Amino acid sequence: MLGAFTFPPIDELFVWKDVLFKGTPFALNKTGILVLASSAILVFLFIKGSRKMQLVPRGLQNIVEMSYEFVDRGITKDIMGPAAGGWTPFLGTLFFFILFLNIWEIIPGIQFPPTSRMAIPFYLALQSYVIMLAVGFKNQGFRYVTHHIFPPGVPKALYILVTPIEIVSVFLVRPFSLAVRLLANMMAGHILLTAMALLTAYALTNAPPIAIGPFLLGIAVTGFEVLVAVLQAYIFTLLTAVFVAEGMEPLEHH
Amino acid sequence: MGFLLLAAENTTNVTAKNPIIPQGKEIFWGAISFVIVLALLWKFAFPAIKKALEDREQRIRNDLERAEEARREAEASLEEYRHQLAEARAEAGRIIEEARQAADQVRKDLIARAEADAAEVRARSREDIRLATERAMSELQERLADLSIELAEKVVERNLDRDTQMALIESYINQVSSAS
Amino acid sequence: MSLLLHLAAQNPGELQKGLSSIGAGIAYGAAAIGPGIGIGYVVGSAITAMARQPEMQGPVRTTMFLGIAFTEALALFGFVLFFLAKG
Repeated sequence: MLGAFTFPPIDELFVWKDVLFKGTPFALNKTGILVLASSAILVFLFIKGSRKMQLVPRGLQNIVEMSYEFVDRGITKDIMGPAAGGWTPFLGTLFFFILFLNIWEIIPGIQFPPTSRMAIPFYLALQSYVIMLAVGFKNQGFRYVTHHIFPPGVPKALYILVTPIEIVSVFLVRPFSLAVRLLANMMAGHILLTAMALLTAYALTNAPPIAIGPFLLGIAVTGFEVLVAVLQAYIFTLLTAVFVAEGMEPLEHH
Repeated sequence: MGFLLLAAENTTNVTAKNPIIPQGKEIFWGAISFVIVLALLWKFAFPAIKKALEDREQRIRNDLERAEEARREAEASLEEYRHQLAEARAEAGRIIEEARQAADQVRKDLIARAEADAAEVRARSREDIRLATERAMSELQERLADLSIELAEKVVERNLDRDTQMALIESYINQVSSAS
Repeated sequence: MSLLLHLAAQNPGELQKGLSSIGAGIAYGAAAIGPGIGIGYVVGSAITAMARQPEMQGPVRTTMFLGIAFTEALALFGFVLFFLAKG
């Protein structure tokens, strides 16, 4: 019975029609609209929550403060050291920007994470990569590169083997995996939810009692995707912090 | 890496729909959104939150210090009160002891005086008794003599013979002397 | 088999597409094996460490996520390869 079921090509799930500025390089599609919407919500919540700060926090202020402390303690100071509090605004924005984009995946009626389009992870990973390089060069000069590709303590002969691996792993795999990890997780979640929804719809028309299976599975996957959305935002921010932190300490000469 | 290059070549003429290839328009909106969000939050939200958290931390630290100080003060004054109380108690004890000693003294004095008085009274009474006895004795002897004479007169009136008279006197004297 | 060859003779483009899809699936499946085992090791060791020293839970968890992230990179290569090979 399921033999007649056809799953749409994956491309179709992710490509949307342009709505505004059609034909220009700035055409606005569903992805762009969701990005703008979540940005507006994020800015609204944070600025509203941080107006008129009370000594005894209530409601939104409480959430905003907890969010700030989570990033400040759990990511910035944990990874970059206690003196690196200045990085919290950037890392906090990064974390909540990604989280708010990811969470569209399970908002009923929208159910499409803009982070499952390569554009967003690509931009964010590129930005993290540029910042990582900039911080590294600023604090360590060109030794930032040589330290990575000629790691100290390795026998000279082994550089033939080690150097290409290090070049690839530090300067190519890092931004690549940063972007693709976010993309792959969100895309997989979206495909999974779509599959469950389509299977439920298909079973309802052809064999209604079976529909309960994919329906319940879809609910379970939705719950799981909440976890994935938070975790991926956290890991993206954490890795950015780790990469940047590597270039922050001036190197000692060996 | 060859694959990536190949893909990049492919996308230009074959398809822009491959989900691995980022689309320019989406990058544009994503980048602009992130930069605006970052700028707004950096300028308006995060400093306020940071300041509020630091203020609260400072406030709590101050409160704790103040509480600690107050506790120390309270402990010091409690210690002082305890000291004063102990002193007062010792003082009271001393005063009571003194009073008791004084009272004791007074009691002893009173008793001594009372005893002395009693002794004096007793001595005087005994003296009185002795004098009275003596007086009574002498009176008695006088009366005895009178009575003897009287008796003798009576005997003489009756003309007693000599023997009877003598025996009478004898017995009388004996009687008196044994009675005295 | 003969049917397959017959189809191939009729429409070589379709056969190529089908075969590359099969190849893409196999490539991703194979690429996921190693990282799967690796992530298992990472998380297992992290749990052992947390159980031995619960007070080190925070740092261990952070390091665990980093380890997972680095191990995962190979699976991500496979993911990209899937879309590239599928064509």
